[in-house]
Amino acid sequence: MKQSKILLLIVIVLLPLTLASCSPWGTQSAGGWSGTTINNGNIYVGTLDGRVVAINSSTENLEWAYSMAPVTAPSSGLSCGQASVATVIYSTPVVDRDLVYIGTYSGQVYALTVAGGADRWVYPRTGSIGAIVGSPVIANETIYISSSDSMVYALDTIHGDLKWKSEILDEEGKGHEKLWTSLVVHNGAVYMSTFDGHIYALSAETGELDWSFESEAGFASSPVIYEDTIFLGSFDRHFYAIEIGGNESRWKFPQEEPAGNWFWASPLIKDGIVYAGCLDGKLYAINTTTGKEIWSYMTRDQEDKPSPIISSPVLMDNLLIVVNESGMVYVFAVDDELANEGMPWRTIPIGAAVRSSFSAQEGLVYIRGEDNWIYAVDIEAGGVIWNLNLAVEE
Amino acid sequence: MEVWYLIIANPVLNVLVALTHLVGGNFGLAIIVLTVIVRLISWPLTKRQLNSTKAMQEMQPKIQELQKKYGKNQQKLQQEMMKLYKEAGVNPLGCLWPMLIQLPIWIALYQAIMSALAATPESLLGLAQRLYSWGIVNQAIPLSSKFLWLDLGQPDPYLILAIIVGGTMWVQQKMTTAPAVDPRQQSTNRMMTLLMPLMFGFLTLMFPSGLALYWAVSNIIGIVTQYFVTGGWGYLKLRSPSQPT
Repeated sequence: MKQSKILLLIVIVLLPLTLASCSPWGTQSAGGWSGTTINNGNIYVGTLDGRVVAINSSTENLEWAYSMAPVTAPSSGLSCGQASVATVIYSTPVVDRDLVYIGTYSGQVYALTVAGGADRWVYPRTGSIGAIVGSPVIANETIYISSSDSMVYALDTIHGDLKWKSEILDEEGKGHEKLWTSLVVHNGAVYMSTFDGHIYALSAETGELDWSFESEAGFASSPVIYEDTIFLGSFDRHFYAIEIGGNESRWKFPQEEPAGNWFWASPLIKDGIVYAGCLDGKLYAINTTTGKEIWSYMTRDQEDKPSPIISSPVLMDNLLIVVNESGMVYVFAVDDELANEGMPWRTIPIGAAVRSSFSAQEGLVYIRGEDNWIYAVDIEAGGVIWNLNLAVEE
Repeated sequence: MEVWYLIIANPVLNVLVALTHLVGGNFGLAIIVLTVIVRLISWPLTKRQLNSTKAMQEMQPKIQELQKKYGKNQQKLQQEMMKLYKEAGVNPLGCLWPMLIQLPIWIALYQAIMSALAATPESLLGLAQRLYSWGIVNQAIPLSSKFLWLDLGQPDPYLILAIIVGGTMWVQQKMTTAPAVDPRQQSTNRMMTLLMPLMFGFLTLMFPSGLALYWAVSNIIGIVTQYFVTGGWGYLKLRSPSQPT
């Protein structure tokens, strides 16, 4: 065998592996999908280039932008190398009084001033905790956040001091590699769901474990609590209702054959009906007491193909707003007269993919697209009335 | 690309995830079982290669005869040797085919490991669109990347796996590489026997340890089958034939 054949062999082995490791058909790198929050006329959102921005919803202008320090991205495979990249943000900002709170994938919690976007405090003061994907929740001057180091943190909202932290361990004493869901505070307890099928309730005061529930299937969505029942979606393509303090689920939906994919988005509940978006593209309206389907509607993209629902639905007055991944906005009337129809009142394309949570106020829906633009959708007019590029101008 | 996912990547991913559920949620064990399955499927090809190796071993006396006869005429020696290989139905480059056949499996496995372990939220979301509706597949999600001392989605931080992959590959190469008559060929073979294990040892330091685990187990299965089919350690114990004078 000549040396050229050896070289050929090496190329044959290395080239496909290099392509596999550095192309989109390897793993998908973390990009972030921070959603919008609206408060006092300002829209707050984390951008794809590692900034938190405030936009005046009336003037449509950028009020301020806070840039987080770049981080080093891990490498995998050949030739990708390590690079300094923008901080990735999955969590949606939360506003409480004069501060905006947000967690980052590089493991830091920021408190920024509403007025100018200056950092009031950062937790931890130096270094970082595990990756934060879920959004923070605030109650009784405490900010609660889960992290991929298998910990739940309770921080003082004013100074960012640690009140308590609690390690979340399963029955075998193992930690959770991915605590990516958002927490819920209800009646003095912090509730969380885990991908391996647990629900934990911790004392909001001390962080001690009050109650836990174990399911055979992992929970994909963050929990929502309604009348002492936890509603959440699962990787086994079912949607569950679990009574707080119980050890069995009240019902699962569908009762027989599973749905077409995971229930990833957090549900929304109104007047005894839970609205759950599924990655198969369907929005299901389910009776909270019986677990029976009231209606379902398949959302589609502009080519009429089913498109996954990743973002959680939002309620604006009596309008239920659902956005699928293709960027189609569906508006359902959920008042008494039309509730059982299950047909959208409006369908509005925004022209960009959507994975983030979104907010709505006074007839307008604010959505951050995967193209890093923010879109203001007028429900009554049935279209995008303004948009803004969130990327840093070169 | 759609065809690639439909025919190779998605089946490998789903089988791997289903195996993980069947072996009690241990992803590393599932990779080992998948390796055994791949080796069983490719057994006809492996057997052909092993028989070829065995035939080449048995041809050594004849090769040495040719070497004595045409030692001064390299061109004639090569011609006669190729004639001998052809008559015996042996392909001296046959050892390359099992590796080439396995390339799509490596790529699919690399993708499957990275997708299944879903290191990022985007990867986990992307996984939803690639999994079949089988109950055992969806019940296995999410997978744990921990196996022994390894994080299967990351390269082994120690040299242990690299040494195992490189070492087992070297043994396998030595068992199957026939001693050459031509000095140039001999030096090429020697280089190949060293270069490939070194290259794969290096790749082990760069790629997720789940893929390297596949290489290591595949090499070990290769050594064991080689041992039993050819009835011993093959060329590992043979010395190179003396150079023509």
